[in-house]
Amino acid sequence: MKDALAPFFTIAEAGRLIAAKKLSPVELTRALLKRIETANPKLNAYLLVTEQKAMTAARAAERAVMAGRKGSLLGIPLAYKDIYETAGVRTTAHSRILLDNVPKHDAETVRRLHEAGAVMLGKLATHEFAIGGPATDLPWPPARNPWDTARFTGGSSSGSGAAVAGGLALGALGSDTGGSIRLPAAFCGIAGLKPTPGLVSRRGVIPLAPSLDTAGPMAWTARDCAIMLDTLAGHDPLDPASVAVPAGNYARAIEVPLKGLRVGFLRRFHEHDVPGTPEMLRMMAQAAATLKDLGCRVEDAVLPAVSEFNAVGRIIISAEAYALHEATLKTRLADYSRVFRIRVLAGGLIRAADYIAAQRRRSDLIAAVAALFQKFDVLISAPVTGAAPTLAEQRPDDGFSRPLLTTVANVAAVPSMVVCGGFSATGLPLGLEIMGPAWGDATVLRVGHHYEQATGTRDRRPVF
Amino acid sequence: MAVPPANHAQAISPAEMHILVSRTGLVLNPGQLADLVLAWRQVAGLIGSLPRERPFADDMAMGFHIAPPALSPRPARGPAATAAKAVAKAAKTPAETAATTKAGANTATAKVKTAAKRLVAASTRIASKAAGAKRKPAGRTTKR
Repeated sequence: MKDALAPFFTIAEAGRLIAAKKLSPVELTRALLKRIETANPKLNAYLLVTEQKAMTAARAAERAVMAGRKGSLLGIPLAYKDIYETAGVRTTAHSRILLDNVPKHDAETVRRLHEAGAVMLGKLATHEFAIGGPATDLPWPPARNPWDTARFTGGSSSGSGAAVAGGLALGALGSDTGGSIRLPAAFCGIAGLKPTPGLVSRRGVIPLAPSLDTAGPMAWTARDCAIMLDTLAGHDPLDPASVAVPAGNYARAIEVPLKGLRVGFLRRFHEHDVPGTPEMLRMMAQAAATLKDLGCRVEDAVLPAVSEFNAVGRIIISAEAYALHEATLKTRLADYSRVFRIRVLAGGLIRAADYIAAQRRRSDLIAAVAALFQKFDVLISAPVTGAAPTLAEQRPDDGFSRPLLTTVANVAAVPSMVVCGGFSATGLPLGLEIMGPAWGDATVLRVGHHYEQATGTRDRRPVF
Repeated sequence: MAVPPANHAQAISPAEMHILVSRTGLVLNPGQLADLVLAWRQVAGLIGSLPRERPFADDMAMGFHIAPPALSPRPARGPAATAAKAVAKAAKTPAETAATTKAGANTATAKVKTAAKRLVAASTRIASKAAGAKRKPAGRTTKR
């Protein structure tokens, strides 16, 4: 194995090689750590690299492989957004508030990954408490996009997007309340899945807005997300939102061809509600054509305007985030970033009647989306309006002033993933969003997988 | 449905903002207050866009989902665990109780009620058997 190539293996490739005893988990981990050492100063993807723990876990995985143990994540180096609690390892939420926070237990998702033999490389950058935005008044700088380091990664799982795209981890954990897995996936040109709420445990994940929060995988390919989901999905009786549905074999399910699948094209979202750039519109039209070529029946689909989903999502997020942080805001206001304060403080002024009006409206929107899924198996849309903007273009109040296309799936409580849909004229990735009905996670991953296979977008890696 | 802007969502005066902030208990410096005024304008606009006209009866979205006994966070041990198994067998799969539609939720509630009744009955049966099993040897010892 050449060290320079190792960080660019997919999870599926590395897993196959490890199982065949052609790739050593110790060598793979060492190559990733070397890559992090040289590349992280350019990307700021990691807040903490747990080198010793990684090597210990890699050696244990190697012993297990030699003893005949099998597993698709055995010896696979991963990293976690720094809102996932990790036993004995500092977990900060990228905030001064939790600078010295060392949890006693792993998040349930982390426990599952470690039980499957995954190797933790470290903790990844996020927007402060998964909401802030790229901020320069925090102890760590914001993550940078590997396709162009002057550009925004998207957020809030900013480090997860940068690390996976830049070859600093084979996969990562992110979280998604209004688009925080799918926005970095779109801007960094990777795959990211926001699962159906209740499919993946959130126990031990620092919350932002509990009625919308989801935890999920981010990786180079949809297949890798499916492999991670095979381990992550499952009932957790200690997470009150977790639902006891039979876990699917997602990695196997994605292989089923798409012929006959009914695809709804949410064209109005990016052509009218939140207009995309001309190249984004072209990419979306091409994506619809590609799915037709794959045997899908593609028709236009219509939902209530993005602004309606956005209003509901923003009000719920602001109110719930303020409620979670109220006590600390009163005593340590200056320790939060300005961006966080702008996005959360207004939540303290929202009346209970307004919050409940938002929740009631959410039930209407959930019903509207569920009704559309009587006609379609999946919906496709644009997750963003174009390629990644520069960091300098980001404004502290962006969270309110620009509607997020991704919030639709959070409010509707449906699974949704973003894959790399194509590239801009300047070589930046353009995302494609695929939504499914509740518990249709396997179908969403399947469409993402076949789209990647058909378009070859996974053959191009960023150079930085 | 028409979406009339609510009065409280319209532009807010500095004096009104001071009153609102004082109710939160936060102490803001002038810069932080200015940021909040700008942010609140955005949020108030979103609040104003929410539809308000709903029938009184249309209020089921705010309910909580109670897990059936078979999914209780701390699995019981001994006789109670046996009873829980009996309940799990009696009730259908947990996935079915997680139905998202209102009709499904009603069905799930009915199932939970039925399962709870069966749990009580099964617990009583098992407790009686256990008590009987303890009493029998004691009786034999007495005879001897």
